[in-house]
Amino acid sequence: MNQSRWRKFRKRVVRHRMLILMALPGLAYLVINNYLPMLGVTIAFKEIDYSRKGLFNLLFGHEWIGFKNFEYLFRTDDAYTITRNTILYNGLFIVLNTVVAIAVAIVLNEIRSRFMSRLYQSLILLPYLISMVIVGYLALSMLNVENGFMNKIILPLLGIDPVSWYSEPAYWPYILTFVNLWKNVGYLCIIYLAAIVGINHEYYEAAVIDGASKWQQITRITVPLIAPTITIMMLLAVGRIFYSDFGLFYQVPLNSGALKPTTDVIDTYVYRGLMTLGDIGMSSAAGLYQSAVGFVLILLSNWLVRRRSRDQALF
Amino acid sequence: MASNKRKLWALTLSLLLIAGLLAACGGGSGSGSGNSKGSSGGGQSSGSGEKPVELIFAMPNTGTPMNDLELVQEEINKIALQKINATVKFTLIDWAAWNQQINLVLAGNEQLDLLVTSAYMNYSSMVAKNQLIPLDDLLQQYGQGIMEAMDPVFYEGTRINGKIYGVSSFRELVADYGFNARKDLLDKHQIDLSQVKSFEDLEPIFQLIKEKEPGMIPLVQRNTSNTVVNDMIASRVDNLGDGMGVLMLDDNNTTVVNLYETPQYREAVELARKWYNAGYIASDAATSQEGYVALMKAGKGFGYFSNMKPGFEAQETGLIGYEIEGVRLTPAVGGSSGPVAFMISIPSNSKHPEKAMQFMNLLYTDADIMNLLTLGIEGKHYVKTDNGQVRVPDGVESSGYVFNQWLIGNNSLTYVWEGWDPNQWENLKAFNRNAVYSPALGFLFDANKVKTEVAAVSNVISEYKAGLESGAVDPNVLPKFIEDLKKAGIDTIIAEKQRQLDEFLAANQ
Repeated sequence: MNQSRWRKFRKRVVRHRMLILMALPGLAYLVINNYLPMLGVTIAFKEIDYSRKGLFNLLFGHEWIGFKNFEYLFRTDDAYTITRNTILYNGLFIVLNTVVAIAVAIVLNEIRSRFMSRLYQSLILLPYLISMVIVGYLALSMLNVENGFMNKIILPLLGIDPVSWYSEPAYWPYILTFVNLWKNVGYLCIIYLAAIVGINHEYYEAAVIDGASKWQQITRITVPLIAPTITIMMLLAVGRIFYSDFGLFYQVPLNSGALKPTTDVIDTYVYRGLMTLGDIGMSSAAGLYQSAVGFVLILLSNWLVRRRSRDQALF
Repeated sequence: MASNKRKLWALTLSLLLIAGLLAACGGGSGSGSGNSKGSSGGGQSSGSGEKPVELIFAMPNTGTPMNDLELVQEEINKIALQKINATVKFTLIDWAAWNQQINLVLAGNEQLDLLVTSAYMNYSSMVAKNQLIPLDDLLQQYGQGIMEAMDPVFYEGTRINGKIYGVSSFRELVADYGFNARKDLLDKHQIDLSQVKSFEDLEPIFQLIKEKEPGMIPLVQRNTSNTVVNDMIASRVDNLGDGMGVLMLDDNNTTVVNLYETPQYREAVELARKWYNAGYIASDAATSQEGYVALMKAGKGFGYFSNMKPGFEAQETGLIGYEIEGVRLTPAVGGSSGPVAFMISIPSNSKHPEKAMQFMNLLYTDADIMNLLTLGIEGKHYVKTDNGQVRVPDGVESSGYVFNQWLIGNNSLTYVWEGWDPNQWENLKAFNRNAVYSPALGFLFDANKVKTEVAAVSNVISEYKAGLESGAVDPNVLPKFIEDLKKAGIDTIIAEKQRQLDEFLAANQ
């Protein structure tokens, strides 16, 4: 019995040898780049001593200190603030980015002029290609207390007193959400546009004959047909919900301490805390914590998706 | 048979691909070190038949033009090759990326033989992590020149746990603090800085400038770390490395206290707030990314607080482009970290520690090498004047090589720039010798036992410090700041620091 299964396996290996060989380089890449470094998770539980070099020492050499490297993450009231900020911001970004990106994609798809459609696509993608450091300075040119566009032009027009933007935490949830949307929507939108373009035109033709309005076409045909893409994109985003865009939360508020209640997220907290220490054990601990939570969340949401529709789940 | 051959081909091909991948990975980390053929298999002694050793020397790029570094390096190597049978390759790393990049280099196995270290750039934690090698024996063997040329404080003051891990560059180990302003504006408004005796005395001057020179910032904050408040109280505080737990020098004892709870801090913060509200300090001082040099250069600022030293005004005039006049408002004081502010160390990554020490020895004894390193190539980057000083050659608009002279080595061997006091180096030596030093001189805090607290306290400080110390935030938040510090565990850090300091003092009786 066992032997026959083994024989079967060998037969299949021989039959698909070319396919297996073709997969080898990719597998090797995956193992070398994604799996081997995973041995490094042990660093999070260790006190690193640099006089001992090499992989063997990394895995077995240094002193085990349990969860001590994790302590600083949960030590103060900040733990609540940064976790809340991280989850709320990223949750909001996932929903908002998806909704706006789909809306924009649908609108772009309706533009008949090929040239204009391409032009808008490029314009909307442009912010995605700009470095966050530059985005930070663009924001500064808007929000500068003395010479900023907002305080100098917009607010006087509306008869509102100038605002000291970089010391008022209350405005930053809106500012960060806007900047994030402005920056990332173009990229997502292109992915959804690709999905929409792939929809067979006959569906729409049939719908028009049946007298469906434009709105009905969108809600009954477009959205359901790109649902698998939406699900995958959302699932992938949920897996990274504990990671924040460091540039967005550090560069755009110009590292202003007064804004920390609404701009501090796990990544910025770790950065500020370890700047002086440079301790790789503690930074690995933060990374491990983030990916562990992301892993659980992705399993959970995948499970939820599977319950509704098996086909759309990732695994 | 044919199918067998095909199989073999496919196998070879995929193996080749994998090998290629592996090679690419390995190559990526190897090429970063700038390793050249010369560095492998170098001998330990400088016998003439041996292959010369290439030393990698990492130093921070402070933003001055260094385009001609390679030419300078070539000239230095001609001398070094002859004297110690070694060459050096300087690697510049941006100031801003320094900590991170050096961390990566030291964590990996890249060759690095000499590097600039500093208490402000993780010196003590590098030692705690065994990333640097102790220099005591090497100094005895190959660094005699250093010990002869320098006052002992330059190498004795860097000890951690009784071992020397770095040698300080020759520079001022102490500082007096004061106010510097544009001379043209001082003259225009007939302000006599010599009448100013304290920071408070500056208030009417700020007011005058505010009224008479609209659009100009009377008091420019140097940057968000060297804040207005910091510069006002720095001479009264030994911040014992990280500023979490300090010695108040006025108190004349060795009790570690929380700076942010002291009345001195509160007074300074309140004064800054008063000036901020009066419009003497820029309203975006707490977040501004622009340093004082840029603002002063652009003609937007009148003056600024700073740490000073003999010849400071000449240095600043060169940097800013307006003539600067200064007034010193505090005595010259040396904190515990004077000698460890900038050093050269040998990392444990070094493959040739002996050679590295020999080269270091040259940096403290060889005037030719030091002139090359700090001034550049004669005739190209500087020319000698009749009285033995140097100046930028005629017709050179922007030099391709400007080195931050205080950074490494023994600068007292080098020529003095025209416009400086010809006795600059002697003055500096006297300045160092005559200053008041903190009782904790040479003490370095090892934060390893309280890492968790340090990370939390760093975060609290980053929330309040820049705002409070530039006057942008009302001092009413001070109690909240102190409360948050306590919650984050600053008292644990202070207790640990006190314990280490007591041990240090007992050992150095």
